[in-house]
Order: sequence, then structure tokens, then C-alpha cells
Amino acid sequence: MGSLGDEIAEALARKLSWEQINRSKLITRFFANSTDTREQHLLNESAKFFLSESRANGTYLDVLERSLFELSKKQSAILVGFGSQIIFADDKDALHIRIIAPEKVRITRIRRQFHVSESEAVQVLDTADKKHRRFVSTVFGADLSDFSLYDLTLNTAALSVDECVASILALQQEHEERLKIERESEQCESIDHQSDLPVFKNPSEAEFAKILDMYQIDWKYEPKTFPVEWDAEGNVTLAFSPDFYLTKFDTYLELTTMNQKYVTEKNKKMKKVRELYPGTNVKIVYKKDFMSLIERFNMGS
Amino acid sequence: MTELKQRRIVYTAEDLQKKVAGIARQISIDYKDKDLVVVGVLKGSLYFFADLTRAIDIPIAIDVIAIGTIPNTTSKTGVVRITKDLDQDISGRHVLVIEDIIRTGLTTAYLVQNLALRNPASIKVCSLLVNPDQQLINVPIAYNGYEISDTWLIGYGMDVHEQGRNLPYIAEIEKKI
Repeated sequence: MGSLGDEIAEALARKLSWEQINRSKLITRFFANSTDTREQHLLNESAKFFLSESRANGTYLDVLERSLFELSKKQSAILVGFGSQIIFADDKDALHIRIIAPEKVRITRIRRQFHVSESEAVQVLDTADKKHRRFVSTVFGADLSDFSLYDLTLNTAALSVDECVASILALQQEHEERLKIERESEQCESIDHQSDLPVFKNPSEAEFAKILDMYQIDWKYEPKTFPVEWDAEGNVTLAFSPDFYLTKFDTYLELTTMNQKYVTEKNKKMKKVRELYPGTNVKIVYKKDFMSLIERFNMGS
Repeated sequence: MTELKQRRIVYTAEDLQKKVAGIARQISIDYKDKDLVVVGVLKGSLYFFADLTRAIDIPIAIDVIAIGTIPNTTSKTGVVRITKDLDQDISGRHVLVIEDIIRTGLTTAYLVQNLALRNPASIKVCSLLVNPDQQLINVPIAYNGYEISDTWLIGYGMDVHEQGRNLPYIAEIEKKI
């Protein structure tokens, strides 16, 4: 409370057209048909009650987890304030965001929002924090403030809701692209090395990266390797690592600014990639095209 | 002003008018009863855009856009930016971007990416000329007049140092000045 977490979640849900589920909504969303009013009240108020046996198979926590996993298979959602970072800790698709603000800032916001005195705001904040901490520690045995539970922590002391939303959306897009390459690699034996630092092997690659940046075309440098030939024992004997991957256009580009011998070799590898990895879009940037781009932008000097 | 040495006429004015009429006919069928905004990319598509939009026989809105390189104080390369933006809101409408020529596709990719952020119902590209061998980026080209090879062309909007745009035909020149 007072950290702008709810406001950020709401703005994100609006931008992405995703459902937003907080603790009170999850009770109506997942327990309305299987519980009575008393049980719903207890689920709302008591963390311990989640660990009791439900009428369905297992505890209320088991029911919640099952329902959330089912939901996540069908749709994307923004989950707020009930320890979903622990439920989905091992889910690569999930991004765990923590929104924080210094206590003083939070108290000021609560005072403004609820028109209460400072001491009342302190009390409101203390109660809300304790309830949230207790819920996560009782239900999941975890400490809410454990940094390792989060992919990103945003401090709203100096950041607006819009700035936080923009950061999260940028991370989400990048994460989706990363997962896409990783999953493709798992399926088709290519080798994913997106974690490598983009250290260009020659100045042409750096120049070409600048041109792509000028056109605001997102790229990744050598994000993966495609094995194209193997020996009898299955060891890779020839592989192709295209220089650039244009994430939004699903296209791999290989620069050839050297002599014809290498161009022929690269053409051969490109042809093999197309045969062995159907649907992979690979293109070669020939020296004359590269030079005309450099010339167009006076980058040669 | 250096005179451009024309090697040959590649497409005559008659060829171009026939080709434009064919493309316009198809666009008129494909976008019948749709809210279409036809966007000309200045300056290269100027004459193609003018002829094409007049040959389309369904109600359309027209607009133009221009992009250029603006010097950047922090790098010698500068940045590609829209120098003349659309006057119309394209949100929820179908957009057809008209290009004179697509070589690498970088410029068109930049435009398509930029226009996509404005939430149109669809974006497609119509280019009079396309060089598939040079094309690096797969932009959504729905209509394409001629496939060309790597030659220097002028006329019908295309220029070399601002010369040759006003020729009614497309000609190959000896080399870039």
C-alpha cells in the first residue's frame, strides 16, 4: 500500500488487455462455486485457512495453485498481492516484479489518498504490510522481502506509474523474445547463447549495428548457432552463427564484407540452415549492399 | 548540374500506366467496403502515389509521410526520423503504404514499425519496384509492380541527387554520380 503497486498493475492490465487478479478477486474467481460465505470470509481474512482441507481434492492452497496453473495455460494475467511469485517461481513465462517505495513516501501517499493524519497513515501501512507479510510467510513459508523472488524491483519514490509500466512492458517484450529463441533452440538442436556479451568480431558488424539502431530495428548479436554438419558419431563438424537476429522481423542476417571465398562458404551454410531448420529466415548482407548503406550515411569516414 | 547518362528506358510511361491500373484494380477489390488510408512515402513515390490513388475506384483517404536522417549530437551516424508525419489518425483503419522502390527494406521496416504503434486495423505495403536479392527485411509487401535487379534507376519519382524524378518513364543510368 502506498507503493503504487495496485496502480501499476491496473495500468498494465489496461495496456495489455490482461485480467488483473488480486487477493479478493481470486476468492470470487476461483472459490465462489466451491465455498460458502463463511469460507470465503475466512479465505479473505485468514492466511492459515488456505492450509486447511477444502471440499475439493487437497487444501484451499492446492485448489488455488491448480486453478492458477489452469488459468495460465489459457490466458495471460497480472497477479497482485498474494504470493504468486512463489507459486510461479519456476515458470519461465512469468515475470516477478516488486514495487517498493520508502516508508515516508508511502505514508504521504496514504495520507493524501484516505485524508487521514500521519499517525493514522502509519497504522494503516503497518497493518497492511503485516497482513501481506503474514500471508506469504504462513501460506508459503517465504519471506516477502527476499530479493531472489523477483526479476525486477522498482522504487516509485522518483518513478511515475507510466515510467514503471513502460519499464515492465520493455522487459516483458525482451523476455518473450528471449524465451522464443530459447524454445526454438530446444526444439531444433540449435544452440542458444543469448547470454553472451555482444562483442563484435570486426568493425563492419559494429557499423551495421549502428545502421540498425538508426532505423530503430531491434537486434540481437549472434544469439544462436545452427549446427549444419555432423560426423558419424554425431559431433558437430560445421555450424553457422548468423551475426544478427532482427527480433521483430524474425530474420537472421550474416554480413559478408570479405573476399569471395568466404561468401561462397557462407552461402553454402545459409542454404543448409534453410534445409535443416525449415521456417528459419536467414539472409546475407553482401559487401556492395553494406558499402552502399555505409555510403548513404557517410559512415565511412 | 551534371547530366545523367541514360543507358536505356526500362519501363515506358505506357508500361507504368498499365501496371498502375492493374495494381489499383486489385486494391479496389481487396479493400472494398474498408476504411482505407493510402499513405505515400515522399518523395520517391510521388508520381506512383498520384497515379495509383486516382486509379483506385473505391472511396479512400490519402496522406503522405516523409522520413529522413537527422544529425545526432552524440553520434556521427544520426538517426532516422519522420520529417513529415501523417495528418490523419490511422487507429482502427486499414493502411496501405506506397513506396517507389524497396531495396534492403530498412526504411520500410522503420515506417511499418512506427505506424504499427498507432494501432491501425492492418498495414500492408505496395511498392512499384522490389529488388528481392537485396531485401534484408521481410516487410508485408502485398502489391508489387516489378522485380528488379541491382541497377541504378531514375524517373517516375526516383532520383539521383534530386535529378530525374520528373521523367515520365523509368530509365537505367550508367552509374551513380
